[in-house]
Amino acid sequence: MMTIENTIKNKLKGLYYGNRMILPFNCHLLKVIIEDDIIMDFSPSSKSIYVHEEENFTEIYFKLFKNIKDAVSKYESIKLIAVEKDKDIFNFDNHYKLAVHIEDEHKLTIDKTDEDILFIE
Amino acid sequence: MTIKKTKDIFLFSLFLMFFLNLKAVAAQIVNHSAADTAMKIMNSETAAHVLPSAYMVIPFILLLLMIATGPLFYKHFWENHYPKVSLLLSVVVILYYIIFLNNTKSLLHTLTEYISFIALLSSLFVASGGILIKVDKKSTPLVNVIFLLFGAVISNIVGTTGASMLLIRPFIKMNKNRIRPYHIIFFIFIVSNIGGALTPIGDPPLFLGFLSGVPFFWVIDNVWYIWIPTLVLVLLAFYLFDLNNKKDSPTKVEYSGKIHFKGYKNLIYLLIIVIAVFIDPVVIPWVPSLYPLPFGIREIIMFAVVIVSYKTADKEILKDNEFDFEPIKEVAYLFIGIFATMIPALQLIAYEAKEFGDKLSAGVFYWATGILSAILDNTPTYMNFLSAAMGKYGLDVTVKSNVQNFVLVDDIYLKAISVAAVFFGSLTYIGNGPNFMVKSISERAGIEMPSFFTYIVKYSVIILLPIFTIIWLLFFYGKG
Repeated sequence: MMTIENTIKNKLKGLYYGNRMILPFNCHLLKVIIEDDIIMDFSPSSKSIYVHEEENFTEIYFKLFKNIKDAVSKYESIKLIAVEKDKDIFNFDNHYKLAVHIEDEHKLTIDKTDEDILFIE
Repeated sequence: MTIKKTKDIFLFSLFLMFFLNLKAVAAQIVNHSAADTAMKIMNSETAAHVLPSAYMVIPFILLLLMIATGPLFYKHFWENHYPKVSLLLSVVVILYYIIFLNNTKSLLHTLTEYISFIALLSSLFVASGGILIKVDKKSTPLVNVIFLLFGAVISNIVGTTGASMLLIRPFIKMNKNRIRPYHIIFFIFIVSNIGGALTPIGDPPLFLGFLSGVPFFWVIDNVWYIWIPTLVLVLLAFYLFDLNNKKDSPTKVEYSGKIHFKGYKNLIYLLIIVIAVFIDPVVIPWVPSLYPLPFGIREIIMFAVVIVSYKTADKEILKDNEFDFEPIKEVAYLFIGIFATMIPALQLIAYEAKEFGDKLSAGVFYWATGILSAILDNTPTYMNFLSAAMGKYGLDVTVKSNVQNFVLVDDIYLKAISVAAVFFGSLTYIGNGPNFMVKSISERAGIEMPSFFTYIVKYSVIILLPIFTIIWLLFFYGKG
């Protein structure tokens, strides 16, 4: 199973197609920010998001957008707070703050957010 | 560029072209100064033209209601269609003025004001977006109070928009481990509004007052003793809120206590914008007028700053600031709707103010200017009430010497109008341009901001109205 740590270390890329984002690791999501939408409801009835977990990747559908490329501009990112699948979710040290940048050819770069980026948990 | 963005720009350009075409019809305006023209038209509107039907206020009310309820009850529809809604409601009013009132002067005047407004806002937004200030210091209630006080003072030098854009990110970063919505709301109260009441650069209505003949230093000389207690009371309220916030970082954080600043060249752009504010034929006679275009050299400089500062900005800073045009695009679309649809409301208010100006006390001017500034644009509200107050003495707001005489004769009305127009802009998200932008930046950082109504009910009414009432009792009650 690919981990968040390995993804960042090996600079692995994710994918996106329309409003579907595919992250190359399996994780628990705690918070997602896209544009000025702050998403914290990940239940199946959520109107904003649908999350589907596979063994080696996590799929996220942004229901309010047709294409995430239109929603996220050049210097912006989709921000996530995520926890490795097998780690203690209650330990804040395990909470990864990630910035997902949209690139061409359906690719996503995934980085830990640095100190300069505004991201409140 | 995506199809959606291309479509947006096309739609916006189409609308502007439609609006711009009106200038050909309005060729009878003889004054060659855009700003002067604007003022003259504003004050001749009610006299020279038939008043609009009261029903024409409906598009404005509808737009305000949709701004208030859209993000709450039909967020998806609103986010996708607010530009169309705003433009459509504007077109209703524009067509009514062209077809039924044959009044293009009011439209041209509004367009001139809108372009001036958006030029200032967008240039400050883009120039400050290329600056990164990092305050690596643990926030405490006292440190926050000092920071907000600094922001209030700075807003008189770079304007409330410039100060807001420059300081909101460091303020959030400084408080990242204990941030709550009230931090942002008090920032809007203090830095985005109340702070900027001391100079004509601080807030647009004061600048228009300056263009009309109010001496530059009159504001600071006559308003400081109202500004200080207001600011002290709001800061005190913030301090009490912040004192009760015991939230701290769940993990141990070490602070260096240092302040880092990146993007010095953008300070030059900010300086250019501030200087450009004065590049107007009314202020400097040798500045050429671009009449009949609905903008001047000032706006050209400001739009040039938008392009140059964006193109030359440090890409790393833009990335760290997550720079995006969306907040300014939102303001541009919503305010084109607000500016156009509020024309009938303003004209009806101007008429009533002139009719009953004689009977109005300084207190009435204070409350009327204030409440209307919270929901309408504060610049025309300021001008209309200034005109009504001067009418009490048989003076004309379009004559510079009359304005200067008015200041000498009895300035209690001007004080009431000036402070109310600036202070009350903090009552709602739409009261002042930067309010919306600060909200948008905060939401993108992950802070859940209160809705339009919650902002008013939970914060403005509870915190600001009692303070504004104290100010009224202290300085305006029973006067004039």
